[in-house]
Amino acid sequence: MRLFPGEESLEPALRKLVAQCGEGLGLVAADVPLISNLDILGNLALIKQYREDLPKHNAESLVLSYLRRFDLERIAYRRNPALTAEERFCAMLVRAVLVPEACVVIDRPLKILPDLQNNRFFHDTLMKVADSWSSCVIIDYPWNRERYENIPVADDEF
Amino acid sequence: MQAAIERIGETSIRTARSFYETLAFSSLVFFKLFDRKSFNSAMRMVLVNQIYFTSVQVLPLFIAVSILFGSPIVGITLQILKHFGLADRMGSVLMGFVVTELSPFMTVLLIALRSSSAINAEIAVMKVNRELKTLDVFRIDVLDYLFLPRIINGILSIVCLSSLFSILALASGAVFSRYLLDMSFDDYTTLLFLSADFSDLFILLVKCIFLGFFITLIPIRFGLRATHELTSIPISVLNGMVKVFIAIVIIEVISLLLRFI
Repeated sequence: MRLFPGEESLEPALRKLVAQCGEGLGLVAADVPLISNLDILGNLALIKQYREDLPKHNAESLVLSYLRRFDLERIAYRRNPALTAEERFCAMLVRAVLVPEACVVIDRPLKILPDLQNNRFFHDTLMKVADSWSSCVIIDYPWNRERYENIPVADDEF
Repeated sequence: MQAAIERIGETSIRTARSFYETLAFSSLVFFKLFDRKSFNSAMRMVLVNQIYFTSVQVLPLFIAVSILFGSPIVGITLQILKHFGLADRMGSVLMGFVVTELSPFMTVLLIALRSSSAINAEIAVMKVNRELKTLDVFRIDVLDYLFLPRIINGILSIVCLSSLFSILALASGAVFSRYLLDMSFDDYTTLLFLSADFSDLFILLVKCIFLGFFITLIPIRFGLRATHELTSIPISVLNGMVKVFIAIVIIEVISLLLRFI
């Protein structure tokens, strides 16, 4: 996790991270929404279907196996507006880890989950797909630090 | 006076630039049509869905319109031909007017009203919602995933539905010729085959392909012009649909000129 004192330092760092990740970028951000005219299954399968030309059936099976990890199979045929904030975040996270050699960047997740009460949510959620990424970083502001229980902060210069 | 000339100049430059950009975008899409890499699993799925929404879902309405509009026109045409003693020209009139002019025009009108406007609004909404950015972030080429299936579907729909309109209109022509001209079905079909001109049918096919291409490409282009404000959606749809209408008129005029040269 990396913390930045303000938007003016966070935005350039985000751009740098995005450039470093290149083809493997799996971005989770409020301004990278789910496609509204596809259901969640379609949104997530799209990554595998397009990037790896996986047949629809295989891509959907893979997506369902990921949703099962979160016990969220019920949202597979729902569309974005019908999701709760937690469900939306999980769907966006699965989409990010479906990218081949995923370099997951989670940009200010509290913009997606403004009313989050459980401070362990991010840690617990990320652990469920920890085998599926090559790297993962959350970026946010220092005043939100306590919302990310059990997630270490990188103190190296970025 | 100077201000008026400046306004005319500005409008001309804007129109020429828009025309050039449309042609440049068309050539980009055209070359993508022949790129095998574009036809991946996701693209094929969208193509099938688009064909269903545009060509299959519309069938009951389209068949009803074809019969309700095509039959009276064919009936009136045959009545007029009989009245002026031109019954022997029936084949060339039906092939030249109903098949090559009326069918594609009615088809393109219905598809433009139904699908072009939907495509324009859909792309504009995706732009406003930043969903196009999502596709970009996940390295999904919008040209492959969003635009090509819609354009291929546009071409297929116009060609297939035009043919269907022609078949239904000619079938009603068979009924009317039986009662108005006392002509047998065999004589009617023979007359149609003898009147069919290969060059006319070729121009018809090319016209349908161009109509299908541009009535989907133009809404896409204008959908992309939407900004990130909701109020830009109706403006983008309005401008796109006006340009679709202009494109239809231009293609119709060119095809008419080609037929009579």
